[in-house]
Amino acid sequence: MTGPQEKAAGNGFVRDTWINLKRWVLKTTRNPFVMTVSLLNPIIFLVLFTEVFGQITGGAISQSLGTEASYVTYLVPAIVVQTSLIAATTSGIGLVEDIESGMFEKVLVSPMHRGAVFLGKSLSEVLRIVVQTSIILVLGYVLLYVDTGASVGEYVATGWLGAVGIVAVGIVFSVWFTAFSNVMALLTRDQESTIIAVNLLQFPLLFLSSAFLPLDILPGWVQTVAAVNPITYGVDAARALMFGRDVMTVVEVTSFGGMWDTLVPALGVLAALDLALGAVAVYFLNRASSSSVQ
Amino acid sequence: MNAIDARHVELTYADGTEAVRDVSLEIPEGEFFGFLGANGAGKTTTIKVLVTLLQPTSGSVAVNGHDVEAEPRAVRESIGYMAQETSIDGELTARENVRFACEAYGVSADDRAERIDDLLELVDLADVADKQAKDFSGGMKKRLDVATALVHEPPIVFLDEPTTGLDPKARNRLWEYFERINERGTTVFLTTQYLEEADHLCDRLSVIRDGEIVASGAPDELKARVGGAVLDIEFADADDATLERAREVAEDAAVFDDAEVEVTDDGLSVRSASARRNGTDLLVALNAAGFAVTGFNVRDPTLDDVFLAITGDGLDDEAAAEVAE
Repeated sequence: MTGPQEKAAGNGFVRDTWINLKRWVLKTTRNPFVMTVSLLNPIIFLVLFTEVFGQITGGAISQSLGTEASYVTYLVPAIVVQTSLIAATTSGIGLVEDIESGMFEKVLVSPMHRGAVFLGKSLSEVLRIVVQTSIILVLGYVLLYVDTGASVGEYVATGWLGAVGIVAVGIVFSVWFTAFSNVMALLTRDQESTIIAVNLLQFPLLFLSSAFLPLDILPGWVQTVAAVNPITYGVDAARALMFGRDVMTVVEVTSFGGMWDTLVPALGVLAALDLALGAVAVYFLNRASSSSVQ
Repeated sequence: MNAIDARHVELTYADGTEAVRDVSLEIPEGEFFGFLGANGAGKTTTIKVLVTLLQPTSGSVAVNGHDVEAEPRAVRESIGYMAQETSIDGELTARENVRFACEAYGVSADDRAERIDDLLELVDLADVADKQAKDFSGGMKKRLDVATALVHEPPIVFLDEPTTGLDPKARNRLWEYFERINERGTTVFLTTQYLEEADHLCDRLSVIRDGEIVASGAPDELKARVGGAVLDIEFADADDATLERAREVAEDAAVFDDAEVEVTDDGLSVRSASARRNGTDLLVALNAAGFAVTGFNVRDPTLDDVFLAITGDGLDDEAAAEVAE
């Protein structure tokens, strides 16, 4: 071994991002259990809801959509969004783990670009959402095929490109909640509090939205809450791609035509939310990075 | 150029706590420097300022010639830092932990494999290199942490209480690594609350108390400052009342005019310039006063005595007891 050298050679931003992405992907693969368990809830919802409610929801759905549709097809976009929501939750938990294990500080003392540190971690979460939502999409098709023998075109009306679009909606949807769970992590600096804070929100958010049933058959107060619930916008965007038509009822837009009347306003609302909460998270991360002492 | 040049550093936390009041340090390259103080004296806060984790409220710090506030990235590239709490990723293997550190510090791909093997060898973890770090013992984790702080062969390493909470065997092993690192020419900045550790390892040390440096020098210089020798006396009957009376006798005995007498667990500790020459006279006087002396020993002052002399109280009884075991 040689003696000490003058200075380490720092990396570029892209390289730093890649190094951090690799670390978090490696950590995720070390815990296939967590990956599986976090998919379990959405899968249970998908299977049980379609089996139990699928028999009675047909009328309401065809009335709302103006076309015959299987409840599986109707529900899959909601489960995709639920999957993104759960994945986003774990982002903050990972951050708390890093703070507790001292890795957070260790990384801050290294010459790595701080933006790249957080970008790399976020990209690993995006990757996970891609894998998990794809699994849900495939599983939904299997359920539909067993039931009706439907073709892929009858499952996702907008085809393969639409399926990719649904995964992309899952990613756009996840950003604001990822930001939220990271802010919770930095405020509480405690795994359990972070898990409780974000899990507490999961069920009310899901049920008080357009996720499981058309809003027009739900009570008025639920419709009111659903109109300001980000889940509604995520689910409606994914569902518009699923059916290839305008499915949004909380905001009436007619200027783009067809499914774009849903996609444009829904993605617009989500993007604004992503930016707002993203900015809050960046503020807290900056603060935590510049004074890491407890 | 000094490895570390800190001038009148102050750090006040947002809640008003003045953790560091006035710390100036000049540490030449290649020195093994010790920063000694009790819990809460300001050691960790000072080290965090030096490694760019905290910005000083006032004062200036240059590490390897780079200002910590103006060029934090240049400082980070040129230092290794081991935090007080062991900082490793338990989900990764030992090798992956070291590899991540190599990549973070931009160690070139050509050198990486060899560097990782060398470091794991250095800290005796080569045989468990591919095991997940979460299953390691505290000492093994600490050693892995040491390895990750050295990946870029930094000219200076900061070690914040590296042996706290380790058993003596694990501690002695770490000491060996630190000495090896220092022998290679690396400047070492070590904080510790163990006097024995500072005495064993450091070329020079500063004692910090309430955020201020109260003494600096080589361990032997500091001990010489105390002067004379220490006479430890044991009594058969060591209850509080007996020891208190013995203390009065020792202080009144006209044997030494400069004696400082402390009550210890089982007897007295008498420090004087003439402890070696006139110690027997005191023993005779105690014997005449009816005390049953069962043991005595004249020794040179330790850093513990230095600490007593400087601060008027022990550094950390618990820590001292741990080291003594």
